[in-house]
Amino acid sequence: MPLDTSTTYPLTKLRLDGRRWNELRLLQAQISTNPASSGSSYLAMGNTAIICSVHGPAEGRRGDATGGSAGSAGAIVEVDVNVAGFAGVDRKRRAGGSDKQSSRIGTILRSAFQSHLHTYLYPHSTISIHVSVLSADGSLLAAAVNACTLALVDAGIPMPGLLCACTAGMSGSASTPRDPNNDELDPLLDLSLPEEQELPFLTVGTTTTVPVGEAAMINDDEDEMKVSMLTMDSKVHCTYVETMLAVGIDGCKQIREILEGVIKKSARR
Amino acid sequence: MASALPTLAIPGQRLGPVSSYASGPGTHVQNANIYASIAGPVLVDPASSKAGKSTLSVSRSPLRKAGNAAPVPPSTPKATAPSTSKPRYNTLPAVDSIVLARVTRVQKRQATVSILVVLDETANQAPASTASASDNDNIESILTSAANPENHSNTDELRFQALIRKEDVRAVEKDRVVMDEMFRVGDIVRGTVISLGDQSFYYLTTARNDLGVVMARSEAGNMMFPVSWKEMRDPVTGAAELRKVARPF
Repeated sequence: MPLDTSTTYPLTKLRLDGRRWNELRLLQAQISTNPASSGSSYLAMGNTAIICSVHGPAEGRRGDATGGSAGSAGAIVEVDVNVAGFAGVDRKRRAGGSDKQSSRIGTILRSAFQSHLHTYLYPHSTISIHVSVLSADGSLLAAAVNACTLALVDAGIPMPGLLCACTAGMSGSASTPRDPNNDELDPLLDLSLPEEQELPFLTVGTTTTVPVGEAAMINDDEDEMKVSMLTMDSKVHCTYVETMLAVGIDGCKQIREILEGVIKKSARR
Repeated sequence: MASALPTLAIPGQRLGPVSSYASGPGTHVQNANIYASIAGPVLVDPASSKAGKSTLSVSRSPLRKAGNAAPVPPSTPKATAPSTSKPRYNTLPAVDSIVLARVTRVQKRQATVSILVVLDETANQAPASTASASDNDNIESILTSAANPENHSNTDELRFQALIRKEDVRAVEKDRVVMDEMFRVGDIVRGTVISLGDQSFYYLTTARNDLGVVMARSEAGNMMFPVSWKEMRDPVTGAAELRKVARPF
């Protein structure tokens, strides 16, 4: 019998790489790695390694359709995702960014950061984000979002908070309704590539936001978060989505603390 | 309620209420609170008038060099705190700024120069005492290095371009100015910005005694020294060449 999570996890309550259900992989990050760009970062979540560089805010191209149409009121965010040919297990011949996975990640990143950044401060400008995937081992979209956030902070582009992303899944096939009496599935945090290929999962990105209401001014709680990005491709019964969301949001909180430590360490040095 | 301000701000970090501070660059207001928009040290600008409030701003220092900012306690709006010197980044040429530029093209009625350094008041008084924090602050290395195509960050095409018109070269005898006797390609010129110009060029003037060519190389390639207001001499060959010479400090 090959090793998979749905058969080994109920026996030992440990995943294939030895983690428990709510543990992140080792997250290593560094900013200001490329002196030629406005902002740059390197981020590794487990074996997923991504370098990201930001150029801009720069003057938009003259012939650009989006920049020239009626004069844009804010900056345009352009994302270019490049998955290296050696990033996966099998070497891909076409190392360009023209495959379906890269363009889809680029579209999601562009939508997330276009609405997240303070683009109204830079009219008629372009912010170019270049993402290069050096090694792909699951949670690729979440790692790309975290790397872009670090690079944008390094570039000094204003934003209301750090946009952090994380993946969350279930420890088995969650296609039937959840049985309150026989609840044997556990949520999993920060899936790796073998777990992604086998289990249902979603990717959630949160940012800090201001709580609304009168009691929010008195309360000095800084843990309020807003879900800015949510992506799911798996078939999951609706009773499990809330559990996966809760675990993913908690994972984003842990990632935000790690990223804040990286920024403060770089600024203090 | 009013806690101490953090030394380093992270985007999304709450800095203080709107009733105590005014929002400055690098911050934004949301729900009667001031939040940081960029990462960097927090600066408190004291209020200019007694009725005003202190201005909170987050400076975009280079993240690898910041860290010397002392924790600033939140000052009351009525107290008069000593104003700290603001960090200076991304200096742009403004009108009446004194700049150092390199001549890139000499034509019949104008000369095209590339602005290398924007001098300010403190740099005029003590140009050697400023510590070189970045590439643009090291004035000696910028002036002595020739235009190198390999070093892209120092390429003259990437810098701001400026024009010195024939009428702006000197204050007297404007009609008899011959541009080839005033500037040569490669000379370092000290000038004053008289206009921001059009989209491509600033406008400089050297129509003062302390403006003009400050460094020049002779035909033989040696660094010349000024001998009069219009003449420079090669210390090796002894040959004199005509320039619009700036008065040394």
